[in-house]
Amino acid sequence: MMKKLLALILALTALSAFALAEFDLSQTIAVVSREEGSGTRGAFIELTGVQKKNDEGKDQDYTYAEADFVNGTSLVITTVSTNPAAIGYASLSSVLLNDTVKSIRIDGVEPTTENILNKTYPIARPFNLVSKGELTNPLAVDFMNFVMSKQGQEVVAEDGLVPVNQEAAEYTAANLSGLLVVGGSTSVAPVMELLAEAYTELNPEVEVDVQSTGSSAGVTGALDETYMIGMASRELKDSEIENGALAVAIGIDGIAVINALDNPVSDLTLEQVRQIYTGEVTTWDAVAK
Amino acid sequence: MRGLFLASACVCVLAVFFISAFLFVNGLPFFAKYSALDFITGTEWAPLRDVFGILPMIVGSFYVTFIALLIGAPIGVFTAILLACFAPKPVVKVMKPAVALLAGIPSVVYGFFGLMVLVPLSRTLFGGTGKSVLVASVLLSIMVLPTIIQTSEAAIRAVPQSYYEGSLALGATHESSVFRAVVPAARSGIISGIVLGLGRAIGETMAIIMVAGNNPRMPGNILSGVRTLTVNVLMEMGYAADVHLESLIATGVVLFVIVMAINFLFSFITRKRIAQ
Repeated sequence: MMKKLLALILALTALSAFALAEFDLSQTIAVVSREEGSGTRGAFIELTGVQKKNDEGKDQDYTYAEADFVNGTSLVITTVSTNPAAIGYASLSSVLLNDTVKSIRIDGVEPTTENILNKTYPIARPFNLVSKGELTNPLAVDFMNFVMSKQGQEVVAEDGLVPVNQEAAEYTAANLSGLLVVGGSTSVAPVMELLAEAYTELNPEVEVDVQSTGSSAGVTGALDETYMIGMASRELKDSEIENGALAVAIGIDGIAVINALDNPVSDLTLEQVRQIYTGEVTTWDAVAK
Repeated sequence: MRGLFLASACVCVLAVFFISAFLFVNGLPFFAKYSALDFITGTEWAPLRDVFGILPMIVGSFYVTFIALLIGAPIGVFTAILLACFAPKPVVKVMKPAVALLAGIPSVVYGFFGLMVLVPLSRTLFGGTGKSVLVASVLLSIMVLPTIIQTSEAAIRAVPQSYYEGSLALGATHESSVFRAVVPAARSGIISGIVLGLGRAIGETMAIIMVAGNNPRMPGNILSGVRTLTVNVLMEMGYAADVHLESLIATGVVLFVIVMAINFLFSFITRKRIAQ
């Protein structure tokens, strides 16, 4: 009995040692996803096509039901770094600072700040501030100046976005007063709250009201001037531009797809990422070259 | 002095009152918008499309707890018997503090241990992601051990010495006296220990969220991922808003009702013991 047990343990150790040495491509992909409600998940499923319109015409999230659901960027990274068969996603800024996982090239493009700014990396979306024509309200103009300044772009970067203005100038408070109403995208709202907080610290007489209603509502609100500044987490549509909407990107939300350092796969197409995340493809050899 | 005692007692009662009031006041409005029946029997959880079905999580909670007790209860009870009747004094002196220490380890540490040790182990042995009902249950079974051991040991020690001596006098060995006379007499105490462990297991969150996979669908076999009620609340609390947030508090209400039912079961068993 004892001998058999010992033999079994030995066999298992040998097996695991072998598994470490050689990556087995027939392995099931361990899909790691964020939880419902996470902004990163919202952006990821939208940009990769995991979210599609269902029969009722509503947006439906088709994330693979057998995925491993974790609630936090750091947990995604820990889970992926400890499992060679795992794949995950996280905001680019957190992945760039981390060397325990590697980011996968999508359609041959490496997720770097540069490739996100020149729009070649596909899993990225701009956070736009929208107005009807050029901004004229002095308060809105001053707020915009702040957002694009060194301090404003630092807030944007701290929230995990790629700042658009890398060599921004210092902002000096204009000491205005009044109420600034900003509304739109629920994805942009959190960073806008932070920006508003930083701005009102420098301009204590100003009150900023951030309403999160959705990107389309943000653009419509900016056009009918319900909002002094609208927020949209997507490019403007042609019809919106025709109606006079003008968008300025304040930062870009980039998402890196990551896997473990000892996983040999480093290249995927956007379509393969979608297939993995909807469960259409479940093993590594189906996507490895 | 009397006032101080009264005040201390009131803090406890008030805390229970306010927590219950908070849960029901914030959780019940949800049932005005969404049918309670659909909530409890629905099998699909897609809060962003306003589909809230928590049956998979209810099943998941009981599934994980049941397996955890299946593993933990025998180990706990046998350890208690060892401590009370078999182990020499030096062993008891080492083991009792060890068991107490086990109870003092924060659940996030258990979770991290599970994530770094049990999950990779399960992955090597059985494949898949390694996050499963099995790993969650094994981790939970360790976490409920102190509760079961301490309650059962106290129950066994409370059995009058005459039971044991009477059995010995009839010619029974030490082993059969313990297993046939002492342990059966402590039965209801042991069962209440297991029920307490059940309460502990069903309420555990932090450790489970790290090792269970948290899939919001009906759990399958023992190697599939699972989401429990507690995990459902913690998992999505961070970003939830409006109806989604209310649905999470309503999940808490359902959990609260379940835990309350378990506590009633516990006091029912204890009362029966006193009646004996």
